[in-house]
Amino acid sequence: MSEKITFKVNGRERTVELEGWERGLDVLRENLGLTGSKRGCDDATCGACTVVVNGEAKKSCVLLAKKLDGADILTIEGISKGKKLHPIQDALIEAGAVQCGYCTPGIVLELYALFSKNLSVSKKEIKDALAKHLCRCTGYEAILEGALLAQSKLKKNLSVKRPSRRFCNV
Amino acid sequence: MSLKYVGKNITRPDAVKKITGKSLFLDDIKLPGMLYTAILTPPTAHAKIVSINTSAAEKEPGVIKVVTGKGIDFLFGDNVKDRVPMAVDRVRYIGEPVAAVIAENPHQAKMALKKIEVKYKTLPVYTDAREALKKKAALIHPESGNYWHLPGMGPEAKTNIADHYLLKKGDVKKGFAEADLVLEGEFNYPFGSSAAIEPHGTIALHHEDGGIEIWSSSICPFVIREDIARTYKLPVASVRVHIPEVGGCFGYKSDVTVEQTIAYIASFVPGRPVKWVASRKEDFLSTLLGHGIRTKFKVGVKKNGKLTALQTTILHSTGAYVDTGLHVMRGSTHNSTGTYEFPNCYLDGYSVYTNTPPVGAYRGYGHQESQLGIERMMDMLARKLGMDPFKLRESNYLGPGKMTALGEKLWESNGNVKKCADIVRKKIFAGKKKKEDADYYYGRGFAAIMKSPKGAPFSSKSCYLKFNVDGSVSINMGGAEVGQGLRNVVRLVAAEALKIDPSRISVYTEIDTQFSPWEWQTIGSMFTIQGGRAVVRAAEKAIHQLKKTAMQALKCDYDMLEYDGDYVFLSSDPSVRVSVPSLTQGYMTEDGITIGEVVHTTSDARLPRYSNPDANGQGSCGVTYTFGAQACEIKIEKKTGKIIVDHFASSFDVGQVINPIQIRGQVVGGVVMAVGSTLYEEIKFDADGVCPNPHFSKYRFPTINDAPAKQTVEFVETPGKIGPFGARGIGEHPVIGVAPAVLNAVYDATGIDFYEIPLSPEKVKAALDAKGDR
Repeated sequence: MSEKITFKVNGRERTVELEGWERGLDVLRENLGLTGSKRGCDDATCGACTVVVNGEAKKSCVLLAKKLDGADILTIEGISKGKKLHPIQDALIEAGAVQCGYCTPGIVLELYALFSKNLSVSKKEIKDALAKHLCRCTGYEAILEGALLAQSKLKKNLSVKRPSRRFCNV
Repeated sequence: MSLKYVGKNITRPDAVKKITGKSLFLDDIKLPGMLYTAILTPPTAHAKIVSINTSAAEKEPGVIKVVTGKGIDFLFGDNVKDRVPMAVDRVRYIGEPVAAVIAENPHQAKMALKKIEVKYKTLPVYTDAREALKKKAALIHPESGNYWHLPGMGPEAKTNIADHYLLKKGDVKKGFAEADLVLEGEFNYPFGSSAAIEPHGTIALHHEDGGIEIWSSSICPFVIREDIARTYKLPVASVRVHIPEVGGCFGYKSDVTVEQTIAYIASFVPGRPVKWVASRKEDFLSTLLGHGIRTKFKVGVKKNGKLTALQTTILHSTGAYVDTGLHVMRGSTHNSTGTYEFPNCYLDGYSVYTNTPPVGAYRGYGHQESQLGIERMMDMLARKLGMDPFKLRESNYLGPGKMTALGEKLWESNGNVKKCADIVRKKIFAGKKKKEDADYYYGRGFAAIMKSPKGAPFSSKSCYLKFNVDGSVSINMGGAEVGQGLRNVVRLVAAEALKIDPSRISVYTEIDTQFSPWEWQTIGSMFTIQGGRAVVRAAEKAIHQLKKTAMQALKCDYDMLEYDGDYVFLSSDPSVRVSVPSLTQGYMTEDGITIGEVVHTTSDARLPRYSNPDANGQGSCGVTYTFGAQACEIKIEKKTGKIIVDHFASSFDVGQVINPIQIRGQVVGGVVMAVGSTLYEEIKFDADGVCPNPHFSKYRFPTINDAPAKQTVEFVETPGKIGPFGARGIGEHPVIGVAPAVLNAVYDATGIDFYEIPLSPEKVKAALDAKGDR
């Protein structure tokens, strides 16, 4: 019952053959070797597997892989450019928001999707987006600080590039 | 002491790899020829295995082998050998491995697992030590009297008592006779999970040549190596353990957890690496839990507030295997004094086998469980005495010249609890308490904390330090980075000790027992103090080596030389000098002849004078005590009973801050973790020992919206004598005082005493309603 799907990941078109049971996270990690997306639970609670799908932050552990056919996906591997980190990454490091690093990629992508849609979101909206993620290390304080710092950095950079444009450059 | 690098905010060396998703965690490792395993667990927590039929599973697609525990002829364990890698003829807890499938991919393994048929004959299930202690209780380990154990600990035959520890100081009867007031209380700190976001995982490979190689999300590669070597009767050197990046530990990735099971499964397919990564449910139920500790307190005090006696019973539901849990109980027992000097103590601790997952380390290791009791008792005693609770505490704080229950005399260098208490008191209690309004009750609570060390006789850490040809330095150690930031601690301490910029220092990124210097395990908030000390010692040796070669190069006496990080020079004439790079691989003289040694050193740091308990249970814990205080302002929503922590303040006497951002991160994160324990988190078991909530969606774990709106964190820096530049540990401390501070605040807000956690809105609302009815 194998089935082929074709979708864009970090700007490149990829085709993957499925057995049918796979979730988005399995395809990214196992088929494509994009291990920056992490598995922390299986019930879409922890957010470590979050990737950006068609501009929206999605928990890939519960996305049926076959539904990704035709999608445009951004993973942590596509967010920085070589040695140049994305301002969200710079800001989180600066704020001391990185401890064990397991939840970090998902949080970067959550913020990326959030700020890409609207860079003027309120602190409450940022907190609500971060509330979709579990972090056992930081107590969230530094993550929130980093998110606010990222917002101001991005505002200074005028705007976050739209995902579709960004993908072409990766 | 003027410090150049220690105490400064320098970005941690692993930040970029982590934020780009490039750090390699266990589940990211793929080895050639790798197979995958899935493990079957039982439907009930205590049963005899009547039969296992694997024939249908063996025919499933992709299946290489189906493994059961039949015929296993060894036990393992480092304190008590009571563990099996897979159930042999009985299951003792709900997460116990019963059988496993090895297949080409993880999906196939999971599918085939469903075809294994097991018949069980159920046995009585005990999920609480109180039930397992009853006279007629069935024995969870009928053979426990025969188990190998370390001297002075282990099971009592023909009972479910897995370990008993009694600590006596002075004469408790006399102490109670002297008291004007005696107060009793019972408290409960139920099961919880360290619940790191990265679940446990292991890859095991039995090489055809007999060696064994293991990769694991663990913090104790050397314990695993020695344990596996014992089991398979191999030289320790033939076992190689790799530790990749670890995605959080908080306790439960210490000791041997799942490694023996995966190694056993992999032994059926020599030459093929076998990988297992826990689902969240398995991570909760098939690794190690935390806590499960009930405490009974009886405290005697004089009218003037002087404490006279403490009697406690610590009842630990240790789970199906005690090996990893008995030290948690022992730590909890001697910690029941909290930060106070009791002249007379009778502290009685029991680890009791129960049909629940084994309890092991959880950040705090017994401290928060019993200090919940003593800190609530202090507030209740003060109320009975009509005394200010701060004054009562101050009359009894441990400090210079005072004696702990263990009989250890304290010195100024152990830190100052009063200073910490004063700081948080000022932050939380300075103004007037907010008045109850239509929607909320308001309250404030306080707890002083003590973090005692927790060592073992041989618990050393080692350091290998190598000067490179350009004067840069590489450091290799066996301490596990789990997020706490120890790589940065190593770098900053080394920079300070070697007087060189941290950018010239590269710190190891993974542990591999083939290359890494030996370390016991990265536990007990000891890395900064002990690992840091090893770094300083290695640095001093390296400077000594540089000077020895420089002495020949400059043709002078050793003690005429000084070192500044870049040069070794004559103290009387600094222009006569030789550069550090030119000394690192020996010094090449003008005619090409090289003199001196390659500059690389090893060192270790041991716990000072750690000793086993004597006949009274007393002895030295090694390392050093740390003191602190925590306090909070809360509000309670009248409609729902929901507790909201508005402001949480913490202060610890850490001796010396190494990195301000990181240490704040440790404290803020620890407080939120303990707010989770206090208000939300509990691993529950039903009458069959089945857990109804082994998922993140049902195990309520604090999100950003549950974190205190404000945290204040300040440090006292009374230098210690052991750690690098006076530093002490901090990893576990922030979780210790949270539950009692919050429960004391709840009393302040409502006049209701609570004795157990988690304090769910339902419990609070029910108590508020009951109080209203009276």
